[in-house]
Amino acid sequence: MSRPLTGGLTSRSLKNDIGYEPDACWREGGQPVWVEVKAGTHSFRNVRASLMGLAYLLANDPQSRALLVLPDSRITEERLHAEVRLAEQSLRPEVMQRLSLVLGKDHGYLGLPPDLGKDFRDWLDEVIERESPEGAKPRQFHYAIVEVMLHQWLLGKEPVTTDWLMKTVGCSYPTAARALEKMGHAIVRRTDRRAVLRGFPGEEWARLVSLSDEIRSTARFVDRSGQTRSPQSLLRRLAQLGRDDIAVGGIEGARHYDPNIDLIGLPRLDLSLHCPGRRVDWGFIERLDPALERTEQRDAPAVLVVHLVRRKVSLFQSGADGMQWADPVECLLDLHEARLESQAKAFRAFFEKHREENLRHEMNGSGGI
Amino acid sequence: MNLLSPRSVLQEVAAALPPDCREAVIIIGSLAAGYIYFRDDPESLIQTKDVDCMLSPHIKAVPAGTAVADSLFAARWQLREDEQWGRPGTADTPAEQLPLVRLHPPGSSEWFIELMVSPPAAQDNDAGHSIRTDPHNPGKQYVRIATERGYFALCSFGYLSLVEEQPILTEFGIAVARPEMMALANLLHHPAIGQKTMSGLIEGRQIKRSNKDLGRVLALAYLAMEQNEDALIDWPMRWAEALKQRFRGDWQALAARAGSGLRQLLESPSDLEEAGHTCASGLLASRRLTPQQLRIAGLRLLQDALVPLEAMARQ
Repeated sequence: MSRPLTGGLTSRSLKNDIGYEPDACWREGGQPVWVEVKAGTHSFRNVRASLMGLAYLLANDPQSRALLVLPDSRITEERLHAEVRLAEQSLRPEVMQRLSLVLGKDHGYLGLPPDLGKDFRDWLDEVIERESPEGAKPRQFHYAIVEVMLHQWLLGKEPVTTDWLMKTVGCSYPTAARALEKMGHAIVRRTDRRAVLRGFPGEEWARLVSLSDEIRSTARFVDRSGQTRSPQSLLRRLAQLGRDDIAVGGIEGARHYDPNIDLIGLPRLDLSLHCPGRRVDWGFIERLDPALERTEQRDAPAVLVVHLVRRKVSLFQSGADGMQWADPVECLLDLHEARLESQAKAFRAFFEKHREENLRHEMNGSGGI
Repeated sequence: MNLLSPRSVLQEVAAALPPDCREAVIIIGSLAAGYIYFRDDPESLIQTKDVDCMLSPHIKAVPAGTAVADSLFAARWQLREDEQWGRPGTADTPAEQLPLVRLHPPGSSEWFIELMVSPPAAQDNDAGHSIRTDPHNPGKQYVRIATERGYFALCSFGYLSLVEEQPILTEFGIAVARPEMMALANLLHHPAIGQKTMSGLIEGRQIKRSNKDLGRVLALAYLAMEQNEDALIDWPMRWAEALKQRFRGDWQALAARAGSGLRQLLESPSDLEEAGHTCASGLLASRRLTPQQLRIAGLRLLQDALVPLEAMARQ
């Protein structure tokens, strides 16, 4: 988080001097590092305006350096370099030497000065999380709340407070309140203001299913070996990794809850990866199978499909064998995504049938209902 | 090279051997692999010209080798034609200059059998015969045998003793080496990609010896996974046991370096291409793998077998 400004330029003097203040300042490493985050921007006009603001700051404060960080931007690395070259032609070298343009990608940061170590990167993650998600991805938060509310309803859980929703999803009060309000009549408020779904929210669900690829940043992996490993083989290897941030979803996850689900043979493996922060560590894919390669083709015969779970609390269920299982809503979305419509229908019916019973007996965490 | 039915060749070799020598014979190389992986498919033929036939254990190799050679001569097996090595040596010929026992079956020159010997263990020092090391090839050793036709040599290689570990007995009374043991012997034999090339051409190309042998390792791994997708997971435990059994004092050092040559191969596109060429001319002739697919087979082998073996060596 942004440290208090002491010595050098202060927040007030910045505002007075240049009419601009970056999002945060890192003061742990001796030389202050100012950070401006422009999440989800694809506009060079925004980028250049921020660059100029930071350049003014650096010209006023020769002791500091600055980063302009662009998370979730479609700007390519090549274009970024071109922009840096243009800036180099226009700005004074002693300013440009202290100014960096950084792209935030799933696997980390491009252009981040290497001397800024792990502590800085962790801090930068927090800054970006604070500055970007709600502004850049309000839809993701909305549907994260829809998913959590549906999770509670399917499992017959108690109504929830807005505070609980904020903590579970990792969003602000206005975001949670706005999402509940948007769900309108689908929500029932108890006298203590706790909220619960009135029934299965058909319209919201249909919208979520249609957007689920984007909302969950679904990534597909195909086999390049000619010897495709079965989902069971991938599962065995997953178990050996001992990761508690990766859960099994899809048909295998659905079968964990409803062993009678009807499907002969597993067409693919669906996994849910819990990553509430920005960075996604895809290293486990190669550990599952070096033959897997990511594809952008939606109709490619994917062997492995990974969905990101961005909310704060994963809602994964731990199995007796240490395996993590994605929550039923994730599994249901996976079935739709895999076009297993009849299985999705049966899976939903299974939960609806047991819902009344679940209201009395919470799931005990060992699978099945 | 010729297309051979592994079962037919094994049957023919076994039938020509004296019954009491069959248990001393372990077939190694592509015929052994072909038998293991293609025996249930009568349509599957392997492309090879030599049938490597190891006599084991070392201490019985000289009498067994002599008996086998004499028996094959009696059954009209013919010495392979070769200007330099086509005639037996004499009692005065140094072992490393004696011809190897390479014999064609009667009436056919499509393939030949080559007799080899398992390397001596420490306790074999008093086996009663002398062992000569090839001055040009330190890993290669020769043992002299005297047959009714004259003097020959049986050769052995440094890590060949690994194939003596739990060989698989065939229905013909002779055994074939386990694929994972052949793979390990080849891995250890090539800790790096060497510059030495094969004496002959493979499908018209000169190929580095290490690329041919490490290509064989990749082919064995690929075929093992074809039979059972998780087959390689069982290899490191068997490898560790075999190394402890055969190289007790050195097993950890050997295990630690077993993957070094393969890693070099996978990082070198030109060497990997050569390895792929040998696979396409041999065990994987009908598969026609791309270099990428061959590389993936190698990465899987590293991940499932060699990295765990290295971890065992560190414990």
